[in-house]
Parts: sequence; C-alpha cells; structure tokens
Amino acid sequence: MSQPEWPSQAPSALSKLIHDAGASGNQPTATTIQVLHNLQHQHLWTSLQIHDISDKFKQYYGDVPTGELPIRSLISGLPPHRVYTHPDEQLYMLQNGIREDELRPERLFVLPTSQGITFSLRLYSMLWGDNLETVVEDGVITGPVVGEGKEKKLDEYYKKKVECLASKEWGSKRILLAMVNRGPGGDGTVVYYVIQEGEVKPRQN
Amino acid sequence: MEVDQESLHASKAEATQVETDLSDETQDFRLLERLSLLTDTSSSSLPKRGEKDFEPNPTVYQADILAASRQAMHNALSHPRMHPPKTHALGFYAPDGPKPPPGVELDHRGHGVSSNCCVCVPNPKGVVFKTIGQGDRWNRIWLLPEEALYLLERGSLDIRWPSSADEHVAGGSDLESDLSIPMSLQAAYACFLGQSGLTLERYSVYSSLRRLGYAVVRASGWDDSPAARAPDRRVDGYTQPQLRGAGLAGMFSMLFNWMHDPKSTASTAAGPLVGTGIHRNYAHIYQKLAIIPWYDPTTVPDRDPLDTDAPFRVVFHIYKPSTAIKKSALPPPDYRIAVVNTREQTTLPTLSQLGALLESTPLDPPKGEKMDRILSLRLRQGYRNVILAVVDQGVASYLRISDVAFGKEKIYQNKGPPSGSKNQKNFKSKKR
Amino acid sequence: MDNPTLPIPISHISGRYLLFSIEAVTYLRREHNICGVLTGTLPQASQQNVFLGLPLQLMPEEARVLVDKGIACIIDEAKAQTSMISLMEEDRRRYKRELEAQGHHVTRLLADRKNKRKEEALKKIAENKAKKSAKADAESEAAASSAIPAEEESAIVDVFADDSASRSSTPTSAPQEILGVTPPTSYPPLPNPTTSSDLVLSKPEVPLSYPLFAHLHSRGYFLSPGLRFGCQYVAYPGDPLRFHSHFLVVSAEYDQQIDLMDIVNGGRLGTGVKKGFLLGGPQKSREEAEIERTESVVTYSIEWAGM
Repeated sequence: MSQPEWPSQAPSALSKLIHDAGASGNQPTATTIQVLHNLQHQHLWTSLQIHDISDKFKQYYGDVPTGELPIRSLISGLPPHRVYTHPDEQLYMLQNGIREDELRPERLFVLPTSQGITFSLRLYSMLWGDNLETVVEDGVITGPVVGEGKEKKLDEYYKKKVECLASKEWGSKRILLAMVNRGPGGDGTVVYYVIQEGEVKPRQN
Repeated sequence: MEVDQESLHASKAEATQVETDLSDETQDFRLLERLSLLTDTSSSSLPKRGEKDFEPNPTVYQADILAASRQAMHNALSHPRMHPPKTHALGFYAPDGPKPPPGVELDHRGHGVSSNCCVCVPNPKGVVFKTIGQGDRWNRIWLLPEEALYLLERGSLDIRWPSSADEHVAGGSDLESDLSIPMSLQAAYACFLGQSGLTLERYSVYSSLRRLGYAVVRASGWDDSPAARAPDRRVDGYTQPQLRGAGLAGMFSMLFNWMHDPKSTASTAAGPLVGTGIHRNYAHIYQKLAIIPWYDPTTVPDRDPLDTDAPFRVVFHIYKPSTAIKKSALPPPDYRIAVVNTREQTTLPTLSQLGALLESTPLDPPKGEKMDRILSLRLRQGYRNVILAVVDQGVASYLRISDVAFGKEKIYQNKGPPSGSKNQKNFKSKKR
Repeated sequence: MDNPTLPIPISHISGRYLLFSIEAVTYLRREHNICGVLTGTLPQASQQNVFLGLPLQLMPEEARVLVDKGIACIIDEAKAQTSMISLMEEDRRRYKRELEAQGHHVTRLLADRKNKRKEEALKKIAENKAKKSAKADAESEAAASSAIPAEEESAIVDVFADDSASRSSTPTSAPQEILGVTPPTSYPPLPNPTTSSDLVLSKPEVPLSYPLFAHLHSRGYFLSPGLRFGCQYVAYPGDPLRFHSHFLVVSAEYDQQIDLMDIVNGGRLGTGVKKGFLLGGPQKSREEAEIERTESVVTYSIEWAGM
C-alpha cells in the first residue's frame, strides 16, 4: 500500500501527526491515530489508550504480517458525556433522580476502521471477549450500600448497574465502531456507531 | 413504572406524528369498527391511527387494549360475503377455458374472448362489469382469473363449481333445483392463482389498484414464458424496432462527429474550445462549451414490450377512475406497471434492464403550461415513465421511474434561478 | 374463542403459503406470535387499502417454523379443492341448505347489530351534547364500542367457524328467498386435509436468513417482511397491532463479507426511525441442519452513537 506523492503544500496537522508517529503509508495505524486524534480533539475524550489486539486478528486473517492487518488495535478512553444509556437504565435514573453528570465516567472501547474494509460476523464475534470491559471503571461496588441521600442513591445505582450488565437488562458489552471516510472523495470525517451483542432494544431519543 | 414510561415517551410520540401512509403499518381494526359504525360509505376520511406502545408491560390495561384490538380484527375478518337476491351475480367456473353455450357449435369465428378466461357470467349486472370482463358472441361475460378472484373476494360475485358437463355455463337454469355449489374464497385462490401467469404478487397489485378505483388490464408483457420472449415476434401491431439506443458506442461516435463537424469552424479539435470569433453573449459561449454528448430519450426508438427482461416488463395497464374507458376499444393507459417479487428478484435492475423497460413504453414528454414553466416538474415528468410495483411477501411498494433528459434543459439560456417560476415567462420552449 | 384442531392446514397455492380460516389466523397470532400479512379485500370495506382481510399470506419462514413445531402442515390446496367437483349429489344438497340457513342467520344478526349500534351511537352523541364534554377519551370509547356486541359477535364467529362441531344449527324455518353465501374455506364439506397423506406437502423451502428468523421468533419477537424499511425483517417486541417495532433485521452468513458502509446505512436508517439495526446469522455453515444453524445464531444491535 503506497501513499501517493503529497502535493507541494505543507501537510496538515493530522498528516504530520500520523507521519511523526512513523505510521505514514501504514493504513491501520494511520486510521487508529486519526480516530484517536478525533476523539481527543473533537469529542474531548481523555485517558485515551491504544490496545494492541493484532494477535487476535492474525488468526482471522491468516498468516499476514502485522503491518498488513486491516484491524489490529482498539482505542479506549473516557468520554466527557455518556455516549450511550440503555432505555431501562435511563428510566431507572429518572425515577431515582440521578443525573448523568453525577456519575463517574465510563471507559468505552472504540474500534477504529476506515471505509473500504469489509467485516463479517465472525470478525465481530472475535472482538467480544476479554478485550471488552465496559463495566464502570473503578465503580464496581461489592460491599454493602452505605451513605445517605444522594450518596446512597448513587451507590445503589452502581450496584444495580453491575447486576444489570451481568443479566444484560441494561444492554450488553458494547463497543463503538469508528469509521473514517477515506478514499476517493473522502474528507476524513469520522462516524461512530454503538454495537452491542445480542438483541438490545433501541433508545427512543 | 408504566406511568413513568408513558410520560417518558409521550412527548416524543407527538413529535413523531409526521405524515404517515396509513397502509404502511399494521392497523388497529377497532378503527374500522368505528368507521363502519357511523357511515356506510367508505368515502369518509380515514381515522387517525391509534397510538402504539414501545414495548409490552405486564399491566392489565395494556393486555385489555390488545385483546380488544385482536377481537376487533377477528370480527372484521369474520365478516361474511353475502349475496342478497337483488344484487346476486352468478358466475360459473370453466376450468377448461371459454366454450360456447350448450347446444351451440363453435364455428371459425371462435367465441371472441381470450382463451385465458375461466369464469362465465351469463347475466352480468352491476357497475363492476363496466371495466371488468370480456363479452362473447352470446352476450355472456367472461372473466380472467384475477378478475374473477377479485370480484369473488369483494363479495360481488358468487362463483359456482361446475357439477356435470356444461349445463351451467348456459346459466338461467332453475336455481332452486340447481346443484351447483358456491366456490369458497379458498377454492377461488386455489383454482385461479397460477393460471395463465397469475402470481400472487400480480394479483395483489391488481386488487390493491382496483380497490382504489383504477381500472387494471393485462398488458402485452404479461406472458413471460420463453415463447413470448422470442425477439422476432410482432405484438400489438408494433414491429420489431431495428435500431437500438445510442448506447456507449453511440456516444463515442457523436463525440467523433462533433470533432469532425465541418460546420463548426469557430472551434477546432486542436485550438481553444470557444474559438477566436466574436462572442456577443454568454449563451453563445456556453453552446460552444457543450461538448459532452448527452442522452436524448426522444431519439431512442420504441422497443417491443416483449423485448424486455422479465420481471422488468409492463404487465398491467392502469386507467385512472376519471378516464372514460370502453372495454372493446381501450385508450392509451394512464400508467404502465411492472411487478417484481423480492424473493425472486433480490437485486436492483441493471441499467440495460431498466433501459429496455423504459424504451418499451411510449414517449410521454412533459406538456402543459405548468411544466413549460417549471423546470423541476419537467425533470420529474421525464420523457418516458413506468411504475415498478415491488412486492415482498404481501407488502407492496410502488416506485415511479422516469427517463430524465437533463441535456435538454439549457440552464444557460435561463436567466433566473433554475426552479423559479416568474423569471421563466420569457423562456421560449425549444422545439422537440 | 376455541382453539382450532391441530395441525392447522396451511394452503400452498402457486408457491405461496396462505391461511383462509379466521380461527387459525387468530390462534396463530395469539399463541404463536405469527402475524403474516393480510392481503385480501374486506367485503364490508372493499374500496380502501388500509384495512385488508383474508387470506393471510405467510412468509415461507413463518410456515416453516409452524411446521417444525408440529403446529401446522402444508396442504396442496389446488389438488385438495378438485374434490369439490366430484362431490356427491346428497352432499351438495346438504351443503347448499346449510349455507342458505347460515346466510339468513347472519343477515338477521347483522341487521340487529347495526340497529343496536346505531341506537347506541345516537344515544352517545346525545349524551355527549348534553354534557358538552367534547373531549371524550378515545381509548375508552373504542374499548366500549368493541366490547358491546360480544355476544352477537361470537354467534357470527361460530357460524363461520370451519370446525364442523359448531355447524349443528339446522334451519328452523324454510328460507323465504334464496341468499347466496361465499364461504371462506371449503372445509367442510371437504374432510380435514391434514390426515390424507397425498395432500400433505413437505416442509417449506426457506432462504438463508431462516436461522435468524427462527432465533428471533423463539425469543418472542413478532416478525414482518422488511420491504418498508429496506431490510429483511422488521422485529416487534409484541403484537404489531399494539407495539412499535424495535429492529430492522438483516441476516448474513458467519463468514460473509459485509461492507462497513452497509452497517452505517443500516445504523443510520434505524436510528432515523427510532429502531435498532440488528445484524445476525448462524455460526454454522449452510451445509448444516437448520435446527443446528438456528441454535448457533449470533446477533449484534447497532445504533448511531450520536457523536
């Protein structure tokens, strides 16, 4: 995969970033960096990390050099606002007077992809597994509920959340699919879709 | 919990009250009960759809509404098909096709009806026969399978099984002692579907258009058997067109001709496009710049309706309720329709299939004062058009496809905005 | 409402699966989450397309689920109906007499009901005027109007039921005029076709998406054809009469390559109509048995993230 010659004008900040990371001409890594950049600067995510999952996909794509894997990393990070709330969770929060901004942020996993890649159900299934921990970060409440008023409500909420994620009442393991608009006519726009395992009823808003 | 959920969705429900086609969703049959309760004519406006819930919950209230809806549906579907003596129309099923009345020998003139007819109505009465059926030489009306099925289904015709020999086709026999027994709805479907190319999808399209008041008749593309696809057949007085559309090869030759056009002295293939002459207006310059050949639907010869690829061929001709039609001499139809079954045709038509389908319809250019005036209407009308009825397991969708001639619309000759109406008064429509 | 005798005969006509018995239609909807699509003309409202009547068209998938569960079997209906031509003279006479008697019975019932309803409607209008309460609760009104004629309704239903048990009513008085009736099915006079082996056909052929269909059906979803939303099926969490659908469903084989753009299209389309886009399919290949494939189905729900 060889990148066409750049025109004479100076490369964009993003191109420079990708270039500096030593990933120029290496699509998967370029995609990852581009999505990371987008999450960081457009959507203001924090604590961003890149997780190498190339081992997993080597099985899928057969014996390909790591550099040629279409998919080889996940990104995780903390969004400034909730990206997804299951309808039943939303209802619970409404009933208990819990506002979103009172909750601890949740680490969310993002799969960076770009236009032109094909997918299969098998590939999806491989993603799910140990890689995805969508449980509240640092928020797993195991002890008895303590505190008064709002604290108590929040403690109860976190406890309920752990239960409902286990039982899939509040949706299942989820991942954000990020797709970069690339190729002829592509403008670098990144779109995000929430993917969950199983039949998870849609949000109504 | 239920109450909260209601309130949670209530405001959004209002927001979604966009214009919905009522036939698009499963209907609450309780509305039909109310409808038929107050008015006997079906001309009254349709009721608003009842509000639906997001998901089941364990309340008695919700269960009761569902039970009531189901009961209403059950009642509506149980409504019997009755034939009161005053309007009783009798038909007789003739599995072997049209035949003369008993005791009459068939001579060289035949019976004068399509051999696909399979139900005979000896004493036709009622307005339905104005647009349905074909009269034979003995003043009886013969029905095609879809016509017979539709009339039986709507409760307008009592069709009888043949019992012995041909005696009933004569009709007018003493009904009291007549042992002919009525065909059930089920029997009618079993006997008429599959006859002479009538699929359930075609029938669904036929009956849904009939219900809306359109007259629907079979077109020459109906028969999609291999024999009917022979390219050298002559149908409906059309002869096989000798020419094909311009196509890609045609485009190249047009471009070639342009480059060698001896008259276009102002430009050369080597020099500047616009040439060095004096140009007094932009239109002239734009004209010079228009070097890309474009497709002109008016120059494409008509195509034999059978020289098309099933299912992308016209199977029905449609007449609006307002069009006066005479069964013996049908006027050109208001619409032409092709029927596609999604389970058999899972992909979009190819360009050549679609092109052939459109070419098999006559030129229908934009006309009238409004179209002359408004560009967007002209573009939408196109020069040829056809309707695709796409049927997925009983659910039908109708798409209008038209052949648009963007090249015919010289935007540069128009000073106003493209879709503006007032500025175009001075625009002289081109001769076509 | 009595349950019909099992297995229910599904008419196979010209390659399609149809139901003509109202009892079967109501029962399958209530007990087995099978809705089908109504495609016929309602004789009482024959000039519109919003409310349609019998027959009910079943997708091959629906017919297959029912056959696999032993609830229904497939009948070669064209073949079965030919027996009507060779019906004995005595049977013909009896059948005609019964139909005529039913016709008169139903006419009386309908007339009674119509009068009663008209009276009630007028009374209601008068009451409403008196109270000057313009805003009547639409729901309770509808519930009331459908609850009133319960007794007579069931009488009609019985008369047109296709199990012979309820056909015991014999004409009490000789009919005054001949009244024609077109019955919905031919059973009776024909005997139950599910017991004659030469009429029962094999299981319906189903498309590759069948395992996903069967999987969702087994989890309680009601499924409809997907044409209106550009998908394969639309999945409802309850009876579509009362509930909005949750998913636009598309099936794929486990190793089938899916363009990411299709996922964006589906996700975006679903979100636009407040539904999820559900992608799923069997892990087992098409060489395996349908039941194995159905058990191996995996599904993924996709929604636009809104960012």
